[in-house]
Amino acid sequence: MDKREILKLEYIALDIRRDILRLIRAGEAGHSGGALSSVEILTALFFNLLHIDPENPKWPDRDRFVLSAGHKCLVLYAALAERGFFDKSVLDTYGALDSRIPGHPNMHKLPGVETNTGALGHGLSIAGGMAIGLRLDKSPAKVYVLMGDGELAEGSNWEAASASAMHKLDNLIVFVDRNKLQISGPTIEVMSYEPLDERWRSFGWSVRIIDGHDLEAIIRNVKHAPFEKGKPSVIIADTLKSKGLSFAEGKVSYHYWKAKPEEMEQAEHDLDNIEKQLKAKMESIGL
Amino acid sequence: MISELKDPRKTFGEAIIEAAAINPNIVVLSADSSAGSGLGDFPKKFPDRHFEFGIMEQGVTGFASGLATTGKIPVFAAIAPFVTARNFEMFRNDLGYMNQNVKVIGRCAGLTYDQLGPTHHSIDDVAIIRTIPGVTIINPGDPVTIKKAVHAIIKHVGPCYMKIGNQKMPVLYEEDIDYRLGKGIVIREGGDVALIGTGTVLSKVIAAAKLLEESGVSVRIIDIHTIKPLDRELILSAAREIGKIVTVEEHFIAGGLGSAISEICSQEYPVKMKMIGIGDHYASNGPYEELLGKYGLQPDQIKETVIKFLDNK
Repeated sequence: MDKREILKLEYIALDIRRDILRLIRAGEAGHSGGALSSVEILTALFFNLLHIDPENPKWPDRDRFVLSAGHKCLVLYAALAERGFFDKSVLDTYGALDSRIPGHPNMHKLPGVETNTGALGHGLSIAGGMAIGLRLDKSPAKVYVLMGDGELAEGSNWEAASASAMHKLDNLIVFVDRNKLQISGPTIEVMSYEPLDERWRSFGWSVRIIDGHDLEAIIRNVKHAPFEKGKPSVIIADTLKSKGLSFAEGKVSYHYWKAKPEEMEQAEHDLDNIEKQLKAKMESIGL
Repeated sequence: MISELKDPRKTFGEAIIEAAAINPNIVVLSADSSAGSGLGDFPKKFPDRHFEFGIMEQGVTGFASGLATTGKIPVFAAIAPFVTARNFEMFRNDLGYMNQNVKVIGRCAGLTYDQLGPTHHSIDDVAIIRTIPGVTIINPGDPVTIKKAVHAIIKHVGPCYMKIGNQKMPVLYEEDIDYRLGKGIVIREGGDVALIGTGTVLSKVIAAAKLLEESGVSVRIIDIHTIKPLDRELILSAAREIGKIVTVEEHFIAGGLGSAISEICSQEYPVKMKMIGIGDHYASNGPYEELLGKYGLQPDQIKETVIKFLDNK
């Protein structure tokens, strides 16, 4: 992939992280950890991979994005706003009465949101149904799902995994945001899912493991999907929870962040540093 | 009353196949449950529109929701507790909260899985599904209205739950009955008591009313085939005009038809009520008709309960 294109996406990822801070400032708290770990996945999807049209959000042949881990909604709101589905001022209503951006997404309130998620273990089944429906309609559209790794303990996911393989849903592409932490601690200590790749393979899926913060790797792998004809694809994306915030990265206690003023200041400073690094990178490639 | 008996599941399946021949958006989802739901012929007639999932009702509910987002009308029929209680959160979130055009059919509902005991009885389904905003709940009382209900729920846009039994049911209505979702049917006029029934025990209600008439009690028989939305006007007119209401259902007294009616009457026109149904205990097992008798749902028992209620001034 063109370096300039990647750099452009890295700038968008930075904007999305800044939008997440904006949301947290408005609501004073939120599920920032898993939102920040999946910023690159949503950046790649909403700014490179998805065939979507913010002017026509219900276009029948659009690609679908299902946020199974609904508590990661901050990153979805930020990506949709950046992509132009609604005005960014909506982000300032997070936490307000009757806000269009609740603590878990509501498809009836906001264009671009495909499902009402929040309760874990629902998204994959719904996405599977979408994939069957699109196939019946001979649509070229694909269905993308973002799951958390803690979420994988819900048994209903494995019902959906079996059925998606049985029905040969190769228009279904799942990301597992493997940030390895959940509220109570490291995910494999709370309820181990390892070996995760073998688990998905044994359910009939085609599996790849990537660095979930590597935009180029995300895009390259998705462009190769389905990885095997007649099989659903899963990308296990290794990520860092709260990625981008120096004081919170990889820490269990920042699953849900009630931001102290000094933390918010530090967070802004951290993102400014990322911007400096991107500027240096831009200069190094002669832009 | 017309005495011909028909299998409710067969009637349901035939009606779905009839509807699917007209409406290409109808798809059927099976949790190893189509054949047992009267839909054994559906995959033969529409192989591309039948999807087997095996025994995973939670997952199927989600798949149905996803299919509905693409304009399909998913029909999901399985044993009643497994499509209401087991998958409740999927019903609430994926069908109710997402407002999806999915038709869920709980079959072998009530006590009709007589010998199989409380795990397979469904006498709480109305109570729990009634809490989900926007879901239409239908409980037809005879084969004619099962068929009418199928066509009505397919036409209605939105999530629906319909319950049917597995015991053969007498035909109670003529084919040309005016059937509308949300509108109860006055089967007979009367002035001493309103006897309101629903679903599998409607024929018992009609038989009980006949016994009451023979004893000189004038009964208004009302069939509430749509429990949600409830026909408020019909209920309130019975309350105003008669002032005494007895409800009969093969369901827990908690949260069922009687509860729904009392929610309206107690707030808008309080009248004396008696609710006949199953109390706060698990139902037993045994032959169906004997089970109904154990819970006071046979015609002579309903008659006695009504007479006691009327005498108790």
